[in-house]
Amino acid sequence: MPVPFESLLPFAIIAGMYVVTATGLSVTRYYSNDKKPTRHGLDTWEKQMMERDRRLTGSLRGQSDSPIASAAFATNSIWYLEKQRNH
Amino acid sequence: MSANKQATFTHTKFVDPTPLPESVPKVDELGVTSAPLKSASFFIGQYCKEYNDDFMLCKSENNDPKHCLTEGRKVTRCAINLITKLRENCGKEFEAHWQCLEKNNQELSACRTPERTFNTCVFDKLGLEKKIPGTPEGSEQIHNKKNPVY
Repeated sequence: MPVPFESLLPFAIIAGMYVVTATGLSVTRYYSNDKKPTRHGLDTWEKQMMERDRRLTGSLRGQSDSPIASAAFATNSIWYLEKQRNH
Repeated sequence: MSANKQATFTHTKFVDPTPLPESVPKVDELGVTSAPLKSASFFIGQYCKEYNDDFMLCKSENNDPKHCLTEGRKVTRCAINLITKLRENCGKEFEAHWQCLEKNNQELSACRTPERTFNTCVFDKLGLEKKIPGTPEGSEQIHNKKNPVY
């Protein structure tokens, strides 16, 4: 006798849960990155460049190709006075 | 004891808005963000080679920021100059290349097609050619290879 479809329902439910969470995570990352794919494999250089982009445009993924920066850029760098700790 | 300790949970970052002293000549900062800068990097390296080398040599003498302000200003001005020229002459190809880089984790190997059109435009209009310094003699530049993988 062939396999009844009711016995495969739990697998379908569990697979559906994976689909929902993966889609939710992917959509969240897409929209939090200014509708661009997430950046991965970031080393210190890339993180520093992204911080510079944030100082220039306001967002970590914002890009601009104007040759001259706004006047605020000259003095809006963050001074890390204390060693960064995770409590 | 705990009354003498400073609060360690600071929420605001410290930013110092005082500008440079008047004795330092004013120069505009480069406003190009990371993706267009990466796209134009080899051309900046070729166009501004003397100023960049001067700055690096000056820094290697003495790492104090005050020591190399003049050379630093020249580097900034040269880069601003080149970016302006790139935008005037090859604006569309430049934009296409760095938008492609932004979508691909800023990996140059993922964006060879827009890079080819951009490089030919820059070579025609400005005479700058992208050359990677470490390539072995005899083998083609990696961005020009038709089949880089096989």
